[in-house]
Amino acid sequence: MKIKQIIISGITKISRGKEKEGHYSRLYWKFVLITLACSIIPLFLVGWGIYNYYSGFSRIRMENYFKDQVGHHRKIIDMFLKERTYDLKLILFTNSCEYLQQQENIEKIFNTLNIEGSFFTDLGLIYGDGRHLAYAGPYDLIKKNYSNAVWFKEVMKKGVYISDMFTGFRNVPHFIIAVRRSDNNGNYILRATIDTEYFRSLVENVKMGKTGEVYLSNKEGILQTTPRYSGKIMDKAVLPAEFFHEESGIGILESGGKYPGSDFPRQLVAYTWLENPRWKLVIKQNYSEAFKDVDHANRAALIFLHLSLIAITVISLISARYMINAIKKWDEKADRLNRQLIEASKLASLGELSAGVAHEINNPLAIILTENQIIKDSLDELSNLDEKVKTELSDSLSAIQSQILRCTNITKNLLKFSRHINSSMEQVNLNTFLEEIIQLMEGRSKVINIKFDKNLERNIPFIVSDPSKLQQVFLNMINNAVDAHEGKPHGKITISTSFDSISKGVEISINDTGSGIAPENLGKIFEPFFTTKSVGKGTGLGLSISYSIIKSLGGDISVQSELGKGTEFKIILPYKQPEGHKDNLNSTKESRE
Amino acid sequence: MSEPKILIVDDEKAFANNIVKLLTKRGYEATAVYDGASAVCIVDEKVFDVIILDIKMPGMDGIATLKEIKKKGIKSEIVILTGHGSIETGTEGIRLGAFDFVMKPITIDDLLDKIYQAYRRRIIEQGRTGYIPPQKKRTCT
Repeated sequence: MKIKQIIISGITKISRGKEKEGHYSRLYWKFVLITLACSIIPLFLVGWGIYNYYSGFSRIRMENYFKDQVGHHRKIIDMFLKERTYDLKLILFTNSCEYLQQQENIEKIFNTLNIEGSFFTDLGLIYGDGRHLAYAGPYDLIKKNYSNAVWFKEVMKKGVYISDMFTGFRNVPHFIIAVRRSDNNGNYILRATIDTEYFRSLVENVKMGKTGEVYLSNKEGILQTTPRYSGKIMDKAVLPAEFFHEESGIGILESGGKYPGSDFPRQLVAYTWLENPRWKLVIKQNYSEAFKDVDHANRAALIFLHLSLIAITVISLISARYMINAIKKWDEKADRLNRQLIEASKLASLGELSAGVAHEINNPLAIILTENQIIKDSLDELSNLDEKVKTELSDSLSAIQSQILRCTNITKNLLKFSRHINSSMEQVNLNTFLEEIIQLMEGRSKVINIKFDKNLERNIPFIVSDPSKLQQVFLNMINNAVDAHEGKPHGKITISTSFDSISKGVEISINDTGSGIAPENLGKIFEPFFTTKSVGKGTGLGLSISYSIIKSLGGDISVQSELGKGTEFKIILPYKQPEGHKDNLNSTKESRE
Repeated sequence: MSEPKILIVDDEKAFANNIVKLLTKRGYEATAVYDGASAVCIVDEKVFDVIILDIKMPGMDGIATLKEIKKKGIKSEIVILTGHGSIETGTEGIRLGAFDFVMKPITIDDLLDKIYQAYRRRIIEQGRTGYIPPQKKRTCT
């Protein structure tokens, strides 16, 4: 039953060999996938988190920067316009109208005003009916009457007025600041034109990269300065007026959708209102440029991510390969152990089987032997038989008896192979032990010219083992070594001992110069009933008994042989038999008996 | 000296009967029983010089039979017959008071040697102790 199981397991093992490679390759890809998943998912999560946080952070910072810029710039423009208004007020209210009406006086004042910078294009004093009383500037406007001009009506109404850009009599875009004074002689208006170029440079003096632009527009969406790209002064602003529905703010402007038909890149826009006049200050820049640094950082992160991916893939491939190789090694080791275990159990089951057979055969053999004896006795009693026939019959009966005894010998050996003898463990000095055995064998071997050579390691430690079993093994091994010299005129058997503190065992080697073992037989020599000796000379049980004894003593036995040159058996015996080793090996046999 | 009285105890009837035949032919008074219980019973009935006792028997085995016989104070020499190659049951028998053990299969000459040795010891022991065997009459089944 057990043998059948072993055979079946052997067959399945062969078919498993092919599956194994597939199994390893599947395992390999599983490892790769798991390590990739374990590394890439966190990497993506971290990358995504950092990207989101960083982008949001950068956008807010950029928007705040835009807001600061637009606020700061508004203050500068407001300040400029206020200062110019105060200049005019100061002149008008500290000088008498008679003084201001003098051409040279107004020119003197005009020149003085422009000492710090060419703020003004011209300066004029206008009476309450719209007449020009005095004028300093490049244009010939002295005869003009402004009674119908919008700005004139506004200044008469409010006292101070800053106009939108207009072309007026001179046909050049400009805007004016006008202040009014009222006294007993009537209303006087001091009017100055702000230098458009100066004002524009003041407004547009904000560095916003390549695509950034700054401009002013009035409530109707008419440009008050010339933007760098989108339009010209006095034109309608590209951005429709309705865009400016809030006091101030920041936003992202995209073509299409809200502004159908328009075509401009995505832009970041910040805007705010001036105090007086109610102009809107707009700063805008292409979104892509504004967030160039963020994009750059994102691209770098993306490259880093890809590099990480490649690195992770390579590492996981290598580590998976390494792990699979390690697993393979362990599997091979386990397989080897398994094979040894199967070998051992095979021998054990063979032992059981042979013991059963031997036992069952012994009883009939005993009966046959007695029957044979009865016939012999009867033959002796027969007196009337021919002497020749009697001798013949007697010879036959003797032959039967000797064959029965041969069978008996076989069954006895079979039983020895598998029997369990209560071990008597004691300390054994292998050197003296071996010397005794050699002495025992020397008498027989001298006759056939075989010398013994001892190469025994001095100081060899004592081992704890069963001397009677060891004697059986060594006698058998040396007997085999002697028998191996059959047909050779002389020979030598070398017996050596050595010990190794690392492997915790003693090694005994028995080396002969005999006929050697054919390579094809080398694997079978420990199997029961395997023999190369002639029929009747060997039962083929000696080595298998030796093998099972050495194994039961916790040792190991190995063989090396070269056909025609000789054989070496190496036996390793532990200093001490491992706990429980013997019990395991013999428990099955014990139950049988 | 009267002829030695031998008892064969073996469940293998053919073997036991053959041994009886062979021993009878050689001048012994041999009896065969085929199980331990019969052996324990017959030793009360009859005095034997040597008992040849098989170890492996169904029911009461050789060792148990040996113990029972010894318990009764029977002084017959007992030779253990072991059917399997292990010597420890044989030595166990010796420890329990058997004379020696032999292994099956055995030639009649070897068996006779062993019986002779046992018988000699029996004679010596008998002479020394002046042992008188019990003479209870009983029928064994």
